[in-house]
Amino acid sequence: MKELRVTVAENVPIAKNVYKMRFLLPEKTEGLACGKFVNISVGDGAHLLRRPIAICGYDETSVTICYQLKGAGTRAMSEKKVGDTLSCVLPLGNGFVVEEQEKRIALIGGGVGIFPMLSVLREYAGLGKEFYSYIGFRNKDAVCMEEEFSALSQELHIVTDDGSFGDRGNAVSAFFAGIDAANPDVIFACGPTPMLRALKTELSARKVNIPCYVSLEERMGCGIGACLVCVCKRAGGKGNARVCKDGPVFAIGEVEI
Amino acid sequence: MANLKVNICGVELKNPVIAASGTFGFGKEFNEIYDIGVLGGVSTKGLTLEPRLGNPVPRIAEGYGVILNAVGLQNPGLDVFLEEDLDFLKSKNTAVIANVAGKTLDDYAGICARLDGKVDMVELNISCPNVKCGGMAFGIRPESVKEVTSVAKSALKRTPLIVKLSPNVESIAVNALAAQEGGADCVSLINTLTGMVIDIERRRPLIANNTGGVSGAGIKPIAVRMVYEVCRAVDIPVIGMGGITCAEDALEFIIAGAAAVQVGTANFTDTLAMPKIIEGLSRWLDAHGVKDINEMRGTLVLN
Repeated sequence: MKELRVTVAENVPIAKNVYKMRFLLPEKTEGLACGKFVNISVGDGAHLLRRPIAICGYDETSVTICYQLKGAGTRAMSEKKVGDTLSCVLPLGNGFVVEEQEKRIALIGGGVGIFPMLSVLREYAGLGKEFYSYIGFRNKDAVCMEEEFSALSQELHIVTDDGSFGDRGNAVSAFFAGIDAANPDVIFACGPTPMLRALKTELSARKVNIPCYVSLEERMGCGIGACLVCVCKRAGGKGNARVCKDGPVFAIGEVEI
Repeated sequence: MANLKVNICGVELKNPVIAASGTFGFGKEFNEIYDIGVLGGVSTKGLTLEPRLGNPVPRIAEGYGVILNAVGLQNPGLDVFLEEDLDFLKSKNTAVIANVAGKTLDDYAGICARLDGKVDMVELNISCPNVKCGGMAFGIRPESVKEVTSVAKSALKRTPLIVKLSPNVESIAVNALAAQEGGADCVSLINTLTGMVIDIERRRPLIANNTGGVSGAGIKPIAVRMVYEVCRAVDIPVIGMGGITCAEDALEFIIAGAAAVQVGTANFTDTLAMPKIIEGLSRWLDAHGVKDINEMRGTLVLN
């Protein structure tokens, strides 16, 4: 990981209150991978904390992130123009890894949790894997990236909370409706805490033993593991884990959700 | 190049910039980004005799130009620190300051006795605003400041004692004097100011602990004023902190009388903040023809 001054190359809305930013790296950067995140400053004096945002895609010279406008900080980010520079610490966290023997992968994403799932698709596309994707949005205004999900997935199920796009429902129930047909070797998920909790509960209730990894979100301080702000509880009373350094990706049984 | 070395109660620091407790862990993570051996010192995450899990999340929030935190002294306990972290810190050739907290006077005596001779300095945390039994009870009234200081000092035969002062008190200068009377070799200030941020949609505080300690650039004028008041009140060295983000900020504290400074929140905003401050101090002194940073200390001229 290192701190770099990156240059905005693209910063555009892709859905209601969701922006895509692509920024240029000033130097070669090792270790970029799907499921990892960057900690990026919003570029004003008022916001002292960086924003931790999942990597959505990358190549040798640039990184793409997608972020939701939630408050004044992300609004300030959304006002950055092409050519503006921001301080960024990257890459951070552990990321998603598809093992050699895992051929069929289920991806479950809710809201902005779809972007780490897209990073997995982009990284492993063309490597002989089959992806079964289940993505959920609040409504049709929030739907984005569906064409790329469709192009890279064996099967794609899109749901919305209100049924205004795709089927009505949530990504977890869509996944369980398709689990037998998909028959995945591994499950990756990212989304709001209630969604991940429902996934954990249902996997346990159905006695599903497929390995499952989830990416967690928490308000962060340093983003590199020093300040102990963004903790979650390890399962079985084994203390705390740091979401930024020990995660953000955890085996679903490893942490309390 | 101007001299940046400072001496605080017999401990020589290669420069006056110290990582503030709680923002820097035990140094390993930041050392992945830069060599922390460039720092004058590192004050560790607050240590207790037993491991602590800390507060529920969220533990952090922002205000304009400030942050609030309520981590609640999560730490692995003294044994783990001694076994797994101390050797690493010592290998970095930077002053190691063990920040310690406790619930009782016995806790403070016990942890100080076990650290005596093992670290360069001990910093007594009697001002953590985020735990019910984090020492804040000792940090408010001057009589109890003096008492806990003298208990800690009795347990430290070889290692100098810093007492870290809370700003959430009637008079920080009176408490600093109480620490000096209790035998403190040095005082550091300010710890965070207690604050609250409310999510108006949910009508709840953003931080799970409801209140948190306010730090960052926005509190600097308060911190400078308090450092100035304390420097006038005591004879022992003072370490200043509160909102320092650049060399010029550090110099304000030094001109007000601080022998050294600590940097906390700026490490979050800019992971390279401290190396930049050290370089900036050197540049500023050279540009102003000042040969030694110690010449800057306490040179404040009042209007």
